[in-house]
Parts: sequence; structure tokens; C-alpha cells
Amino acid sequence: MVKFTAEELRRIMDFKHNIRNMSVIAHVDHGKSTLTDSLVAAAGIIAQEVAGDVRMTDTRADEAERGITIKSTGISLYYEMTDDSLRNFKGERNGNEYLINLIDSPGHVDFSSEVTAALRITDGALVVVDCVEGVCVQTETVLRQALGERIRPVLTVNKMDRCFLELQVDGEEAYQTFQRVIENANVIMATYEDPLLGDVQVYPEKGTVAFSAGLHGWAFTLTNFAKMYASKFGVDESKMMERLWGENFFDPATKKWTTKNTGTASCKRGFVQFCYEPIKQIINTCMNDQKDKLWPMLQKLGVTMKSDEKDLMGKALMKRVMQTWLPASTALLEMMIYHLPSPSTAQKYRVENLYEGPLDDAYANAIRNCDPEGPLMLYVSKMIPASDKGRFFAFGRVFAGKVSTGMKVRIMGPNYVPGEKKDLYVKNIQRTVIWMGKRQETVEDVPCGNTVAMVGLDQFITKNATLTNEKEVDAHPIRAMKFSVSPVVRVAVQCKVASDLPKLVEGLKRLAKSDPMVVCSIEESGEHIIAGAGELHLEICLKDLQDDFMGGAEIIKSDPVVSFRETVLEKSTRTVMSKSPNKHNRLYMEARPMEEGLAEAIDEGRIGPRDDPKVRSKILAEEFGWDKDLAKKIWCFGPETTGPNMVVDMCKGVQYLNEIKDSVVAGFQWASKEGALAEENMRGICFEVCDVVLHSDAIHRGGGQVIPTARRVIYASQLTAKPRLLEPVYLVEIQAPEQALGGIYSVLNQKRGHVFEEMQRPGTPLYNIKAYLPVVESFGFSGTLRAATSGQAFPQCVFDHWEMMSSDPLEAGSQAHQLVLDIRKRKGLKDQMTPLSEFEDKL
Amino acid sequence: MLYIIGLGLGDDKDITLKGLEAVKKCSKVYMEAYTSLLSFGLSPNGLSNLENLYGRSITLADREMVEEKADEILNEAKASDVAFLVVGDPFGATTHTDIVVRAKKLGVDVKVIHNASVMNAVGVCGLQLYHYGETVSIPFFTETWRPDSFYEKIRENRKLGLHTLCLLDIRVKEPTIESLCRGKKQYEPPRFMTVNTAIEQLLEVEEARGEFVYGENTICVGFARLGSEDQKVVAGSMKQLLTVDFGAPLHCLVIVGKTHPVEEEMLEFYGL
Repeated sequence: MVKFTAEELRRIMDFKHNIRNMSVIAHVDHGKSTLTDSLVAAAGIIAQEVAGDVRMTDTRADEAERGITIKSTGISLYYEMTDDSLRNFKGERNGNEYLINLIDSPGHVDFSSEVTAALRITDGALVVVDCVEGVCVQTETVLRQALGERIRPVLTVNKMDRCFLELQVDGEEAYQTFQRVIENANVIMATYEDPLLGDVQVYPEKGTVAFSAGLHGWAFTLTNFAKMYASKFGVDESKMMERLWGENFFDPATKKWTTKNTGTASCKRGFVQFCYEPIKQIINTCMNDQKDKLWPMLQKLGVTMKSDEKDLMGKALMKRVMQTWLPASTALLEMMIYHLPSPSTAQKYRVENLYEGPLDDAYANAIRNCDPEGPLMLYVSKMIPASDKGRFFAFGRVFAGKVSTGMKVRIMGPNYVPGEKKDLYVKNIQRTVIWMGKRQETVEDVPCGNTVAMVGLDQFITKNATLTNEKEVDAHPIRAMKFSVSPVVRVAVQCKVASDLPKLVEGLKRLAKSDPMVVCSIEESGEHIIAGAGELHLEICLKDLQDDFMGGAEIIKSDPVVSFRETVLEKSTRTVMSKSPNKHNRLYMEARPMEEGLAEAIDEGRIGPRDDPKVRSKILAEEFGWDKDLAKKIWCFGPETTGPNMVVDMCKGVQYLNEIKDSVVAGFQWASKEGALAEENMRGICFEVCDVVLHSDAIHRGGGQVIPTARRVIYASQLTAKPRLLEPVYLVEIQAPEQALGGIYSVLNQKRGHVFEEMQRPGTPLYNIKAYLPVVESFGFSGTLRAATSGQAFPQCVFDHWEMMSSDPLEAGSQAHQLVLDIRKRKGLKDQMTPLSEFEDKL
Repeated sequence: MLYIIGLGLGDDKDITLKGLEAVKKCSKVYMEAYTSLLSFGLSPNGLSNLENLYGRSITLADREMVEEKADEILNEAKASDVAFLVVGDPFGATTHTDIVVRAKKLGVDVKVIHNASVMNAVGVCGLQLYHYGETVSIPFFTETWRPDSFYEKIRENRKLGLHTLCLLDIRVKEPTIESLCRGKKQYEPPRFMTVNTAIEQLLEVEEARGEFVYGENTICVGFARLGSEDQKVVAGSMKQLLTVDFGAPLHCLVIVGKTHPVEEEMLEFYGL
């Protein structure tokens, strides 16, 4: 049944203009995977008849069971286009053969990190939106992320079959719904104006919007219909397309086009008259089994059915007829080939987003030109578990050069700094593999512009990495990915049988590798902690851990707990001082809250340690009102060198300051990771080094003296600046009918949530509610909500922001104080917080 | 009364008569063991030799104890006589001024008993003590911490034609970087810098700074186990000293400045 071989696929990989790397993105249950199957069917991996029922890209048993996609899966598809369909194609191409590297990714918000990993290695995105539900929270999140990565979108309005079968809406109403969906998507896209990427909004009349019914395997763009009618009306196709959308009306009685509805009964919108109604007619005829009427109609459309297909009845017949008339793959493929960029086009503008080094060096140029002869630049975006347990494929994209079996490569991990040896390995690639759904095929080499999986590197890559040629020692790595969600929910795990502990430790290592976002750690108390995006995400992680990475050994998990952050409310009440153990060195510091929005800017990576200092000081001066000179005196960010806290040097004329800088930074990294209140990460605190007194001899101001002092003075300044706790808050989106609203409100109230938007979906009885809900309260939230609304309300939670808790954690008996004590107890720390006097020294 | 007693450099017998009398008077005896080491302190029974000789049991005071728990020692000194033993001289290469300041604040009487220090024992090589500039310490370089402020001091000394005494880093019971950051105690294995390492680091800094303050051919004197029976003193160019094995710690190094003919005569005895 497979129509193509690995050799064919490999041959076409050299034609960089004929490649499209694309991901499919959408909200959960908007029909991505089903639609993807139609494309796979056309490439010949699965039989046409079962398209819509198989979900080729859901390779895991739990995915099939839940009916949702959990992990993103890549497939390389090979198509041969007809000359006719490429007639209007203006871009560069090399023959009629096309290679589509398609990545299906999950729609549930808990798995957004999978989407992020998918976006990095693609250039275009097919945005799938349910025509009834419209643009939802996940569509928006991912779309913004895609545009941020400079990925060009096309849209498909999916589940058209619902309009015809379930809702039975008339043409004009359907048009209005579609129009609204497209408009909503365009509102988001319009905010990303980018001179290099050009206009990213989508227009049906330009062919960048498709209408599809993934479940039934059919789809069309206005191009399809324009082709049909252009000759009939004697206009060219592009003119015809314009008439088929927007304010264009046709009256068959007068045979005239107008831009207003003339009001006569026969005057209808172009789209309704020529696209919607004919489809509706065919569907109805099929569903009513009026075969005598059907055959002549089909003949007129040029659709021929095989004889055995003619015996089908009802829905099966309808599906078959529609698939033959308007095959989903043809419409979608044409749209992708015409409107999504090839790697060669996309890398020209994406190089700025991708490459960390100077944009005029050999590596940047090789990426920009997608040069197969250039130095190898490859980004590994995720690790995929292989069939033999415990091993992983490194999956990624070649941006420049070629990667081949047996090649020796430099592996630059996320903590690699050019010129240093940290997080750097030189290793051989055992095999290069291309991915075709469930099958993998080994190939000799893979040139730039393609996705690739590699065997033999899993020991050296944790989650992602940049690979270059062994000799390219001056190459900079490709920028690390930023995730739109953060791991705020944690559980502690232990094994039921103590002797399984080695399995657990090994299993956690593998879990951390296989998921781009999950964080596994060990607490002081010896507890093993897994942190993820939400309840569902953790549930999947635990299942993977137990079944795949631990060989089924039983584990016990604790109740989920939430990570907090420590911040400050005001500037320190005074400059605090700490002395080094030998008393010869003194550090003076103050803490203050960061300007609003600055912590978020650091999260997003707009401001970070690797910025050009000039650019950084420009942003800080213009957006956050910093003094330009001060912006140049940022010593570091933390925790993990990129976190949303910083140390700024405010000293004047201190000698040897540079020698203790590293010690202060080292102390700050740990202190910001484990704040003074409950050893939670700090957030949004700016520490200012006010003055420093040092011993004149280097040996008396080494790390041993300065690091603990820096740590103490940082804690002292935190405690004197009105410390506060921040708790994570979800944005919850709930869709439900009117009668369920009462239940929703009462559950939200009970859970400290508050609604900030309630909107009726035009044309439906459904309401769309948006609310903020503290993550702590979200455990069991969906269950409670379903119970309170007789199963009519489905929430989608996505991490939104950190909210400051108003009570003072230093005041005994306050809510925050109690929380701090609980966290300390759980972590096995001393019951009471260390008092300020332990950190601050007085003169 | 707190007696701060210098032990001298060589072995247990280098304590002064006055010092020994004071020790015998004291009810509690502490020995500071992190800024320097008596050469015999490295052997497992070194301390018990001391104890036999002085007739007192001795408590080893590490960095933590001296810097962070000094108050306990001082409180004892309020009521009784406490001896605080320091290798070399109390105010020589190591700075124990802090404990004196604290004692005085608490109203504890302090008596200091001097002894020989590396600061004067280097005289053995023949370079006049009058002719030394500022003393510098050479710390172990780590991947991230490579302080080179000693370079400027050596430059100033050499401009004036002065010799420079370089004290070499010792790391006994030093906490690891991670434990420092997190405020937990975990210790690195003890390390002592050799003359060879010091010269390598000095040359590395010279190469980086390129101000021609010194170079491979600059004459230096290397010392090992100064003051003990098997002390070793060798004079030669930096390049020559790089290949000399000085043996067990402690080491120190002098960068020779402008020399007087008499100094040169002495140096020749130690030449390679």
C-alpha cells in the first residue's frame, strides 16, 4: 500500500524548493489528527477508505483511547503534483514532486511544550479551527507562538460536516460563522506585523483559507470552485475567487453580479450560491439515497465513481462521493505548496530568530541560504523514545549542510557557552533516519531543509541541542526554545517496592529526556519530584514513567503540589550589610521589585543575559524607564542564569570589584533559586550592590569568603523589602450552554476563581467564559465542574500569570505564613524561617 | 586571658620558651589549622606529638570555628586561660587581628607571644628583608575565578626594584562552591599549591596582560618546608624552576628584584 520508497524520498530531499516543513496546530478536539490522516492517506501510507478513523499520527495506545494527541509526531510525505495544478505557481520549483515534512502536535494546553518543539523545526503552520467553536484559547496561544517564531500560517475551517448534518444551518448563516472565525484568527495575526514575513493574515479569496471536513475526508479552497466557474463566466480564476467571498451577490434570474443584496429571493451571496449550496445539495441527495438524481449531478461535476462504490448507502455513500469530488488532500496540499514557504525561502528571514551568533558569520550565511554545501547546523528539538526501551532518537531539523551516518559532530547543549568546554561533546552519529509515521527508514545522509532523526546521541543530549561539524569550533548554538507554559504543578513519587529505586532513578532520567518540559528533581528530603504543566500532563508523565521507563514497576505518587515564587513588594527599608566569615570583606545591598512587565519580558526572552548590551539598555530605557548607564551594569540574571531576577552594580569606584563578581553571581544563582522564605524560586527582584569593602589580598576575598556572604546579603535584602509569595494562576476557558452557567459560577466562587469575560457565541446557545483560577484550586476542578453542570461544561486551563498574595509571610498567623510553614515542612527544612539577624551584620 | 601563641615554622620544638610556659598554664588549647600547617601536622600523629610535648590536649580549630564560632573560644577565655596556637607568627602572614578585635570588645585580655614567620624566614636565601615590596598571595585558579590583581602589585614592586614574596594558596577543609552557595557544608579534598603551579599561573597572567612585568627568564627563589630539617631552597629563572620538584608542602616563592652584590653571592649557593 505504500506508494513511495525511502529512496524516492531521499532523492527529493535535495530539492530545497520543493520541501515544505509544516506543523498542524489547533485547539484540542478541533480535528487535527483526523485531518492529518487525509493527507497521509493521499501519500499512500494508509488506505483511503479508512481515512478519518485511524489517526495515523496517534501512535500511542493512550492517545487512541483518549482520542487526543499527546506527543507530536513527524511524518515525511511524498506527493507528485500534476502540471495542471501547478500552472499558477509562481515560486521556484524543481519538477512536480514535493516533500512535505508534517508534524502533528497536541491541542490540549497541557502539552503546549510539544507544540513549541514542533514549531521550531517547521516553517509553516496549518491552523485548524472548528467552524462552530471558533478560535479557542489554545489556538490563540499556539498561533502567537508560531508567529513569534516567524512561521507563516494558513487556515482551515474544519468540521464543515457539522454545518450540513448536525446544525443544518442555511448558507448565509454559515457564511457569517465562517467569516467570524477567519476574522478572529486575523485579529491575532494582525498584531504580528513583520516587514520580513509580510502580511500573515489569511484570506479565502487569496486561497489561504480552506474549508474542510476532516472526518469525511473532503476539503476545498475557493480555488477549486473558481476553476470550475471561471470558464462559465468568462473571467479569470483570480477574479472569480474574489467574487466567491465577501460582499458579492449573484442573482441567477438576472444573471448579474452586485455588491449588495438586491433583496430578491433568488439573489444570494457568491459563496452561498456557488460553493455552499452545491455541496449541501450533493450531501442531502446522498443522505436521502436519491441515487437516480445523484448520478447525473456527479457526471456534470466530472466525478466518476467505481462500480462497487455505487452500491454504498447513506453516510458511507456521501463520504465516498465527497472524497472523490473534493479530496481533502488535494485542496490542502495545493494550499500548502502555494502559500507556505519552502525552507530556502523561510530560512532567509528565520535566521535572525534562530542563530545566536553574529548574523554575518559563515554559519548564519549557511542557514540564511539553506546551503547544503555549508557547515552543518542542526537543531535537535526533542528526544523520541525508540522501540527498544530506554533508547531515544534525537529528532530535529537540518538548517545548513548535511548530516550523515557515521559523521562526527559537536554537540552543543543548552548551557554551552562559545569558547568553553561546558555542555559540549564530540560524538559519532550511528545512523540517520527519516520518519514515516510508525515506520523509520535509514538513509545515508540528510541535507538541509529537512527533518531528521538520529541514533546514538541520546547519552549526550538531555532535551535539545545544536549539532555542528566536528571542526567548526567557532559556531554559536541555535537559540533555545521558550515554552509558553511553565511546570507549576508537581508530584512526589516513590516506588512501592524499595528495591525498585534504581529503576525509578533511571526512569526519571528517561522521562526528563522524552518530554521537552517536564522537570525531574530531588528535594533535600530525598523525595523525587516531577513537575509538569497541569494535572493531565502529569498523569501522562506518570503513566510513561511507570509503563515505559520503569518496566511496569509500581509507583506511589503524592497529591499534586504547586510551586510558588518569592518576590518583594517595596525597596529594602535600609541598605543591609553582611560580612565575610573572615570579617575582612563587606557587601552592602538593597532589593527592590522590578518594574511591571520586566519579569515577563525576561521570561519571554526579550531581555536576557545574551542580549547585545546596547539593545538591552534601549529596551530597558524606553519601556521600563531605566537609566541608560545603569542598564549596562547588570551583572547577571538568575536562577539558572536566565531567570527573572537580577543583580545590578551600583558601586562607584570600588577596586577589585571584577574579581568578586563571579562569586557574587554564584551566590545569587543559588539564593534566587532558593529564596529566604521557603526556598522557592525568586521572581521579579532586582538586587542592587550598593557598596563593597574588600581585603587587599586576593586570597582573603576568594569564593570561600564572598559566595556565602553574597548569599546572606541577598537574603537580608529580600527580607527587608517586604517579601511576598506569588502563586500561579490559570486562565480557564469554559464553553457551556446557558443553563450550565449557574453551576459554573458557583464552582468558580468556591475555588477562589473570578470570571472576567462572558460571551455568547453568536449563532449558538453556547457561552464562552473566561476566568482566572489559582492553580492550587485547580486539582479536581474539571471533575467538580462536570458534576455541577451535569457534564455540560468542559474547562481548559492554561498557565497565565503569577499573582501576588497580599498577606505578609513574615507575620505569624497570616495565610502566607502558614503556606510558608507548610512548604518548609514538606521540603524537610527547619520549621521556622531563618531570622534576618542571621543574614545581616551590624557595624 | 587569651594567649595567642606563635608556633614557628619547623616542628613542635620551635615554640618559644615563653610560649611553652603559657601553654602549660592554660586550661584549654586551640590550634588554628587552616591558614598554614606545621610540616609535621600532615602526619597522622602530628597533633599527638604536640600534645605529648606540651602536656595538654589540643582542639583543632578549622576555618569555621575561628571565623564563625570564635565567640565560644572567647567566652572561655573570659573565665580561664585559653591558648590559641598559630603556626608562624600570630600577625605574620596570617591575619588574626579579627580575633583580637573581638576579644578586646568583649573585654578579654589578650597576650601575644611572637615567633618566626615565613615573612622573615625567607631571609635564608640571602635577599635582604629591607628590600621586599608588598607581599602577594597566589590563589588557585578555577574555571571561572581567575583573579590577577597580584600582577599589579608585582609590577609596582618591580618598578621600585623590590623583591616580591608570593604566598601560595592552601586549601584545607575548604567548602565546595556548591555548598558555599547553598549554605551547606561539604568539603573539598585538601590541596597545596606548588611552586610549579604558581609559576604556571604567573606566566599565564603575564601572557594575558602582556606588560612585561616578568617573564620566563626572571630570577626567582622557590622555598619548600621553610624552617624544617629538610627545607629546600632553589634559585633560578622561572623556566628552570618549573622543572624542579620541591616535594611536600608548604611552598612559597620570591620574585627577585634588583640585587645587591652580597645578595647575589648568597643566591649563587642556591643556584641550579
